[in-house]
Amino acid sequence: MLENHIVEINNVNKQMTAQEVRLCGLLLQEHFGDVVEKVGTHLIRSGVLTLRALAHETKLPLDLVKKSLCVLMQHGMCAFGAGRRGPAGPVEYHIICERILHMLRYPRYIYTAKSLYGDTGELIVEEILQRGQMTMSSTVKTVADRLTHNMPEGQSMDYSEVVSAFSRLVETHFLQRCPPMASAESSSSGADNTPLPAVTQPTEPEDHPECYKLPYINLTGQGKRRRSSEDGEADPRAAKKAKTDSSERGDEGIYWQVNFQRFHLHFRDQAIISAVSCKLDQTSSEIVRTMLRMSEVTTPTHAAFTQALSANEIFRALPSSYNIARPILDQYLTLLVDDPMEFVGKTGDSGGGMYVVNLHRALANLARATLESVVQERFGSRSARIFRLLLRKRHLEQKQVEDFAMVPAKEAKDMLYTLLSENLVQLQEIPKTPDYAPSRTFYLYTVNQLPTARLLLQHCYKTVGNLIERRLYETKENKRLLEKSQRIEAILASLQATGAEAAQLTEVEEMITAPERQQLESLRHHINKLDSSENQVDETIFLLESYINSTQAPR
Amino acid sequence: MTEVKVKKESTDPVDIENRIKELCQQFPHGITDQVIQNDMPHVEAQQRAMAINRLLSVGQLDLLKNSNGLLYRLKDAQSTSKVKGSDTQEKLVYQIIEDAGNKGIWSRDIRYKSNLPLTEINKILKNLESKKLIKAVKSVAASKKKVYMLYNLQPDRSVTGGAWYSDQDFESEFVEVLNQQCFKFLQSKAEAARDSKQSPMVQRNSSFATSHEVWKYICELGISKVDLSMEDIETILNTLIFDGKVEMTIIAAKEGTVGSVDGQMKLYRGVNPIIQPTGLVKTPCGLCPVFDDCHEGGEISPSNCVYMAEWLDF
Repeated sequence: MLENHIVEINNVNKQMTAQEVRLCGLLLQEHFGDVVEKVGTHLIRSGVLTLRALAHETKLPLDLVKKSLCVLMQHGMCAFGAGRRGPAGPVEYHIICERILHMLRYPRYIYTAKSLYGDTGELIVEEILQRGQMTMSSTVKTVADRLTHNMPEGQSMDYSEVVSAFSRLVETHFLQRCPPMASAESSSSGADNTPLPAVTQPTEPEDHPECYKLPYINLTGQGKRRRSSEDGEADPRAAKKAKTDSSERGDEGIYWQVNFQRFHLHFRDQAIISAVSCKLDQTSSEIVRTMLRMSEVTTPTHAAFTQALSANEIFRALPSSYNIARPILDQYLTLLVDDPMEFVGKTGDSGGGMYVVNLHRALANLARATLESVVQERFGSRSARIFRLLLRKRHLEQKQVEDFAMVPAKEAKDMLYTLLSENLVQLQEIPKTPDYAPSRTFYLYTVNQLPTARLLLQHCYKTVGNLIERRLYETKENKRLLEKSQRIEAILASLQATGAEAAQLTEVEEMITAPERQQLESLRHHINKLDSSENQVDETIFLLESYINSTQAPR
Repeated sequence: MTEVKVKKESTDPVDIENRIKELCQQFPHGITDQVIQNDMPHVEAQQRAMAINRLLSVGQLDLLKNSNGLLYRLKDAQSTSKVKGSDTQEKLVYQIIEDAGNKGIWSRDIRYKSNLPLTEINKILKNLESKKLIKAVKSVAASKKKVYMLYNLQPDRSVTGGAWYSDQDFESEFVEVLNQQCFKFLQSKAEAARDSKQSPMVQRNSSFATSHEVWKYICELGISKVDLSMEDIETILNTLIFDGKVEMTIIAAKEGTVGSVDGQMKLYRGVNPIIQPTGLVKTPCGLCPVFDDCHEGGEISPSNCVYMAEWLDF
């Protein structure tokens, strides 16, 4: 009987590579500290574990392990399910690694929210990302307080503005409700056949019909400005008040999280639009942007192309600033269809022509351009020529490569062997005789896009890990200096608050010598550079991941 | 009783040879042994054979074989004079080289065809070369291989490599210059089309250039010492496609329009790349030659990486 109720855990990790595990460990440590990092890394490596096993193997006290798991679950990085012994046995936990890797992209999410919905949107997304899950009322209050803090004296942010920004984020699906957890019933009876509730099945948030429904909350007022002198006393009272607040507001138990999928779709669309704009022109990219906007909610994830749109609909939906005539629009659409990159395809003639955006093809082209760019920067433009040649012509012999690429034989050999040793190019043997004698075998060079993309993705993970480690190293090396500068700043701040004279202030400032100041400046410069390059590598990671997922998705 | 003196026809070897030569001239297709016998019945077989051999060795007679037997043919006077003084083996080798036409023939192939030992072949080849009857041409495919052909023949394109090779050296700079010139031409055409601000279809069509136009432009530029054909220009344009700078379409064209080959024309257009250099290559790790050896705690690690240090200070 118990067998009938054993529920398999879906979403168990695919095997994580060493580089991915290393990167996850670094991210967990930076955001949550050593204990969570230890628990998380161990759980990634082991797959699924029960609480007891986890505590035993990491040799940490049980309550610390519990707290770490809570933190991870709050952020959606850890999930639990029925163990191997069925619902009656201990629950098993596993890590969802891609959520940890999404932490790299937090700055990009926040920036997108800012560009779409202004400072309010930016702060909402930032708060929710920081806390993992939040109720609407607490988010609104916190954001209003923060905005008020930055406004000039006497002004404050009204709650309704924040509420409207929040609702817009929900309407466009950037925020979604966390899937509710069914309460677990005690599994005392195995004999009677009452089906146990499906507590163990991790559900997709979109499976719930109320996923994007805003709760009715009773929230009026304005943001409160925090006075620094009241900090000490105000906080505990404010905290207690917050707990009772949400139950009063009417949305207790309804938690919201960031819908990462939606952000990823947005990034994908951005990449496609900018590619069209580079290849063709601004107007064509606007047309593609309109088409993508119209099919935002109707296209399933990982679809190969959007829903078919008729030219009439596109014409009506174009932004009014682009005043182009109908026949001109038709010409642009024809040009988009004829372009060798095949961003847009024509699927029918009704309604003035039915057009789709070829998502998978566009992603493949972007991934291919990424691969070519890496080869070009790393090995030179002639190696890049050979690489592109092999991508187009699939299989070629040594002699043919030399002839097509117009590279002298010796150099062509050298370049091909270098690419081969880096695994960017593969060698295919076609024997003429069964004994594979070298003189009687064809050796063909070839490039396979998907495995090469995977290889480069691992390189990217390793690179980001290297950048993070270097940043930690730089910080550690200059720890003494950083601590000193922090102390000086604290002294300065307190002196200023108590109204000290200018002479005292300068005396304190001079405690940091000029070379130390310079060192601090260069340290700041280094850290910024490392940070921004992490984001740049993340863009590459996003393109390659989207391409790989789109190729592997079941259709 | 009168003694009848039967005048014996002189069996002077020279006379026999001359008679045979006259017979050959009578029958330009060649005479068989039987014909000679019929003509000079008094000549013994041995003498006949000697005469024929002498003529062969001197090179005035050609020995051929047909279904009925051996044929003897008078050799061309001119070619006779050429190889005068050479012996049979040399003549044989010369024959083989002549047959190879302008593609030339490798010394090993000569050996197979003539069944002569290698040392002999080499001697003969040296001899013929000194007499300026044949020449050696280095093949561009395998630089150690030498093919032999007649002195006054032009080597075939496949041996010399065509317009891109001069003296067996691939002219990389020449190809590079042509590459850049073609690209500049196409790019300026595309820009002119873009600036014309006409309807998009017209804009795109005017940014195309046929391979014939590009060929004419390059010829007029006059940067090439060698005459380039349209196919040569098309190979250059193909390398531009593989550089990602140009794209090509083929359209149907009426036979007879300038530049059309087999009813189609190739059109080329300069294009922009669709992405900027990707994020990974903006970091030192993306270009690092020792990327695979780098790990924390090792000789090469992110903490002590020299490339990173330089890059950060930049």
